[in-house]
Amino acid sequence: MNRQEIRDVILEIIQDIDEDSSLENLKDDQPLRDQLDLDSMDFLDIVMELRKRYKLQIPEVDYPELASLASCVNYLEPRLQEV
Amino acid sequence: MEYYDQVIIGGGLSGLAAGIRLARFGSKVLILEKHAIPGGLNSYYHRQGRLLETGLHAMTNYAAPGVKHAPLNRLLRQLSISRKQFQFCQQLRSTILFSGNRSLTFSNDPAQLAGEVARLFPDSAERFLDLVELVRNHDPFQPRPWSSARARLAELLGDPLLINMLLWPVMIYGNSNEHDMDFDQFVIMFSALYLEGMFRPAGSIKEFLDLLVNHFRELGGELRLRAPVVRFAVDGGRVNRVVLESGEEIGAGQVISTAGYPATLNFMGQADPVEVASHHGRMSFVEIINILPASARAELCYADNTIIFYNFDEPFDYRCPDAAVNLNCGVICFPDNFHDLPERAEMQLRVTHPANYQIWRGYSPEEYRDQKSRWAEQSAAKVAEIVGNYRPKVLYQDVFTPLTVERFTGKAAGAIYGSPLKVRDGRTPLQNLFVAGTDQGYLGIVGAMLSGVTMVNQHIFSEK
Repeated sequence: MNRQEIRDVILEIIQDIDEDSSLENLKDDQPLRDQLDLDSMDFLDIVMELRKRYKLQIPEVDYPELASLASCVNYLEPRLQEV
Repeated sequence: MEYYDQVIIGGGLSGLAAGIRLARFGSKVLILEKHAIPGGLNSYYHRQGRLLETGLHAMTNYAAPGVKHAPLNRLLRQLSISRKQFQFCQQLRSTILFSGNRSLTFSNDPAQLAGEVARLFPDSAERFLDLVELVRNHDPFQPRPWSSARARLAELLGDPLLINMLLWPVMIYGNSNEHDMDFDQFVIMFSALYLEGMFRPAGSIKEFLDLLVNHFRELGGELRLRAPVVRFAVDGGRVNRVVLESGEEIGAGQVISTAGYPATLNFMGQADPVEVASHHGRMSFVEIINILPASARAELCYADNTIIFYNFDEPFDYRCPDAAVNLNCGVICFPDNFHDLPERAEMQLRVTHPANYQIWRGYSPEEYRDQKSRWAEQSAAKVAEIVGNYRPKVLYQDVFTPLTVERFTGKAAGAIYGSPLKVRDGRTPLQNLFVAGTDQGYLGIVGAMLSGVTMVNQHIFSEK
């Protein structure tokens, strides 16, 4: 997957987790937690959904890499290259 | 032999929530429920064409849609259940009534309770607001040793009557300790009951359970009813297989037991009976369900209330009574009194009193029947002093005792709130066995479901 596709997947996963989230004005470099009012349980859902879809194991120490949309894409790009 | 990634023992609310959470992310998961109907403590049965609910009087932790961090909304997100599938109806009002006609009325607007406290306890009004502030800012989920809520409240509020009046509803909503409770548990329930508030789904608990079960099955989960577990086959500190009463064995990668800690120890075999008994709770209850014509409401007092928490004991003590039943304190619930519920031809009046399991267990079958009707009669006379005489209007009556609870929920000694010793981290002596539900220690329906979710998140999903 390329960067744009990865970004779209993350947005789709977030929309699935919280149907009330409005994603239009999301800033890629700002923390998702603050912009969407997500908590650690929601972040776990992003991790679990990636695991389910792509068999991708994200260890707990790497969770901070998922803080913003841009950091998610950076972290996932090499890991989802083959997908 | 069938093999599952996870086997969950118990199809109550914590088991269903854990199951949904696991199935949602692709686990092969099986829930084993010993009864023909799921729900555990919060279930239903049919009598004379009526659907009667057990357990559910009111759910706590009401939150408006869109309040993302509220436990209720967070729970629904974790289960991928849209809030739009439910109509949630809020309570009308509820009253805490102590002897001498001293009462505090509360609703889902916390300002009402603050106003009532200021009216009845003017000297404690400021201190009460400080307590509310403390509860709002206290994280009760940090691991801490048990600490006495009574001791903290004596410091914070001072007035013993105010403390007892606030404690009684909080305690009967899920405290398994006698006399006192853990301060963190107090904070959880104070917030759930007085700050968030009470509500119920517009439909019955059956519809609520059906929705959960259907969702679980659509996600690929399997639920087997009438499938009681008798023991685990243990090897190298792990549960290898779960053995059913029928003799069938089921392979399991991990096991979550919601059957209660004493029952779970028994499944493990070789459990020390003294240790098992130390986990038996002592708080059990009788409950009397009365069906009345809806027209009866006009002639009753407090009939605009959802729940009346009354106590005439001086001083109030939350304990297992010395007699079979303590009529001096109880909970009177009008389960039809929620906003926006449809009009019905009949109404319910449910009454709950603390009861003594050992005494009920000692009766012969004949004595048991006699005592049931005798106590129901005396309860009605007591409750009539508060709401007026409803006895001539009763169309149908049913009585649960601690033995009924034990038989239908598997809760040892009929202790609906489970063991006084909670297993907060959900761990057991076996590596791949975890407990969730009542004995893990989150209270109420929302709490039980969050317990199932949290144990899955912590022990099954987290990558170490």
